[in-house]
Amino acid sequence: MAHSMNRAMFTALVTLLPATLVAQSTPNAPKPLTDSYVIRNATVVPVVGPRIDKGTVVIVGGKITAVSASAPTPAGATVIDGTGLFIYPGFIDSGTKLGLSEIESVPGGEDKVEIGQFNPHDVALTAVNSHSELIPVARYNGITSVITAPEGGLISGTASLMDLTGWTGDQMSIKTRAALVVNYPRVAGGRRGGGGGRGGPAADGGDAVNQGVTQLRDYFTNAKSYADIKAKLAAGGAGKQKIDQAMEAMIPFVRGELPVIFDAESAAQIRGALAFGDEFKLKIVIRGAAEAWQLADTLAARKVPVIVGPTYAEPSASSAYDEIYANPGVLARAGVQIAFQTTGASNVRDLPFEVGITEAFGLDADKALEAITINPARIWGVGDKYGSIEVGKVANVFVSTGDPLDPRSHVKYLFIRGELIPLVDRHTKLYEEFKARPKPTPAVKKP
Amino acid sequence: MKNTTRTSPAMIGARTMLLASALAASTAFAQGAAAPATDGFGGAGALNMPIPPAAKLVAITHATILTASHGTILDGTIIIRDGKIAQVGTKLAAPAGAQVIDATGKFVTPGIIDAHSHSSLQGVNESSSSITSQVNIGDAFREDGLTLYRQLAGGVTAANVLHGSANTIGGQNLTVKMRFGLPVDSMKFDKAPPGIKFALGENVRQTNGAQPGRTPRYPRTRMGVEELLRDAFTRAQEYQAEWKEYDKAKAALKKGQAEPIPPRRDIQLDPLVEILEGKRLVHAHSYRSDEILMLLKVAKDFGFRVASLQHVLEGYKIADEIAAANTGASTFADEWAYKLEAWDAIAFNASLMAERGVKVSINSDSDERARRLYQDAAKAMHYGNTSEEEALKMITLNAAWQLGVDKYTGSIDVGKDADIAIFTAHPFSPAARVDMTLIDGRVYFDRKTSPSLEALLQATKKTRAMGDGGNF
Repeated sequence: MAHSMNRAMFTALVTLLPATLVAQSTPNAPKPLTDSYVIRNATVVPVVGPRIDKGTVVIVGGKITAVSASAPTPAGATVIDGTGLFIYPGFIDSGTKLGLSEIESVPGGEDKVEIGQFNPHDVALTAVNSHSELIPVARYNGITSVITAPEGGLISGTASLMDLTGWTGDQMSIKTRAALVVNYPRVAGGRRGGGGGRGGPAADGGDAVNQGVTQLRDYFTNAKSYADIKAKLAAGGAGKQKIDQAMEAMIPFVRGELPVIFDAESAAQIRGALAFGDEFKLKIVIRGAAEAWQLADTLAARKVPVIVGPTYAEPSASSAYDEIYANPGVLARAGVQIAFQTTGASNVRDLPFEVGITEAFGLDADKALEAITINPARIWGVGDKYGSIEVGKVANVFVSTGDPLDPRSHVKYLFIRGELIPLVDRHTKLYEEFKARPKPTPAVKKP
Repeated sequence: MKNTTRTSPAMIGARTMLLASALAASTAFAQGAAAPATDGFGGAGALNMPIPPAAKLVAITHATILTASHGTILDGTIIIRDGKIAQVGTKLAAPAGAQVIDATGKFVTPGIIDAHSHSSLQGVNESSSSITSQVNIGDAFREDGLTLYRQLAGGVTAANVLHGSANTIGGQNLTVKMRFGLPVDSMKFDKAPPGIKFALGENVRQTNGAQPGRTPRYPRTRMGVEELLRDAFTRAQEYQAEWKEYDKAKAALKKGQAEPIPPRRDIQLDPLVEILEGKRLVHAHSYRSDEILMLLKVAKDFGFRVASLQHVLEGYKIADEIAAANTGASTFADEWAYKLEAWDAIAFNASLMAERGVKVSINSDSDERARRLYQDAAKAMHYGNTSEEEALKMITLNAAWQLGVDKYTGSIDVGKDADIAIFTAHPFSPAARVDMTLIDGRVYFDRKTSPSLEALLQATKKTRAMGDGGNF
């Protein structure tokens, strides 16, 4: 269940809080379903701006309404004592299959790959199962929003940006059409331990790559013409054009209004994607990007955002043993705007740990946090509403016992759009159930 | 049969190849990312890394030592003599002539042991039949798999190399120490008891591998798996009895009597007899609680112990039964939902089993995960609040126990092999990467001299400065 908390859950959760901390609750009166919370006395890590020791964050009506050393408690607000705890903005995963995949080997639940090479009009959110068992699991470690998208083909479809709460896809949506997903063609067997890897249909040689790129160029040329004709018709030009769903879907991307994600791993693919983006004046984002470190200065100078990951991956046989772990640090130091993706559905919860493991290999701790908060918010065009703890922003916030990128820490409270969401999922439920299993008696008597 | 391991032509071939590739790879590091990808073996960089000879005396000083057996020692010293841990404690002076490794600010742990590996193999499953106890994974193991170096860079010092999970009985294992750079025979963990891979559930039934047009293979159900196991061990018991009878007759032989004729040797049943005699360890791939209970029942009926349940993703449901059978559990930190039998897999599995008295290890089953088992162990603290030392045991001492080598490795204790990982920070923190990995007191990985990305970048800068252009 990805939907917001019901009254029973709220009551259960509030009773977990020490009674003295739950303010404004009179005995014998039913606890109100409040939309106001105050977290006091915690270290606030706003990401944008300095940390606040012993700070307060106030949430009212789904928004952050105060961030300071001390703020008054709104009437009726639930107070959470944050002593010894840390407040972070919710984490954003910039590449998942969440909602499109349930049990990978069971085909009935898989909506990841459509038939055909060009599917720009396939929008991820259409197929997102809001009630996927995998969604609460993702939330467990502080992930509050994700990009989810299909894969396969040359143009896989349109990625959606969504919050991990809501009864329906539309309720979950932040941006139903967030970006176009393009697989930049690659030479077979190039990446990820020689096993092929992701990033475009494998081709046997340079000619086949050329063929793939030519197909893409042909498609984008058509789309650009379609958009141009449509603009001229709208301006009162004579003539007409038949409506084409796929071409309609391409319009905001060929006009450079929305980002185009190029899944590209090797330096050659990235160079190709950059040139392709120039040719069509696209707003491009490079994703995957294992070898982006080779082009760090270029990517920084051109202000092209790079989504790295998964970092739970092996470098190619010909590269340094620590390439995947060290790549994000090289990019960040060069000034590239980076974000992270986990790429799958079942272990989106690993996002903080996939980022954490790269810190030892050179990614600055503050840059690491930015890469899963404010950077992706800006890359996906919602930097004014998401990605930091600032007054007026959507209250996607969690409270942790320590550095959330360290597996020894625990998330204690999680808010999405200002709602306190219980950290209950398939795993915690089975854990509690079997933790309570009585010791088996030596001999069970049969009736 | 007493000895079922052997050196195969494949191994000898691999050794010759190492020599050849070591020569060919002498410039591979300089070529860096431009070098073409090969078949996943060999590759650039690591192969021409010289391995410094072992020092007779080594002292690791001023370290925070996580012993995995008796807590943490602050500002501690480990003295290694002839590859064995000779002294552990505080205020120990480094003996004269010792190679001193100053570990100020660093964290020292036992070398990581991966209880489930398929690394550096040229073949994983002998899929022709569901009982292939006669095959040995050592025949498919290559010493030059680049992954071995990368795992050393993640602190791994030993691994249980296993067949895949296509067969009910997959074949004989190979326990290795990651002595990358030495010939394949030197990588074998000599003192490790032999083991064997069993498998239950979906993979054995070939649920997900069934191809249209391919001849179906028995078994198709979990019931069939049990039947095959009972049949195999019944045959093994009869075979064992024949040999006992023969041995008895031979012992009672009087002068002038005709020599008894030995039974026909059966290389499929020999390893199973070793299991019945407690001389070969069973490592059983398993997921669901029902199939695990089935195996434990079969083992009980035939009088053998299962050394480790591998994956054992529903182990938490029957932790008491596993503990009662004195069976180890080797699981993933948090993998789940990739197939139906992994639908009830929970990240709390390791913690809950440990809480109920099971000796738990966390394994990789993957070249990729093997490089970051230290982080996977920390996840046991994250999911279910396992203590720090218990979490560390899950990638060291408990894995050693499951492989029958805990007398020799798995903790920082006097008398054990000096298999050690040195981390730049607490191994469970995001600031940690491996600085050095030692096996038998010899440094097999050293970050300072390793072909890291940083080294590659520096080399490139130099190349550019010299006006050679460079690749990027």
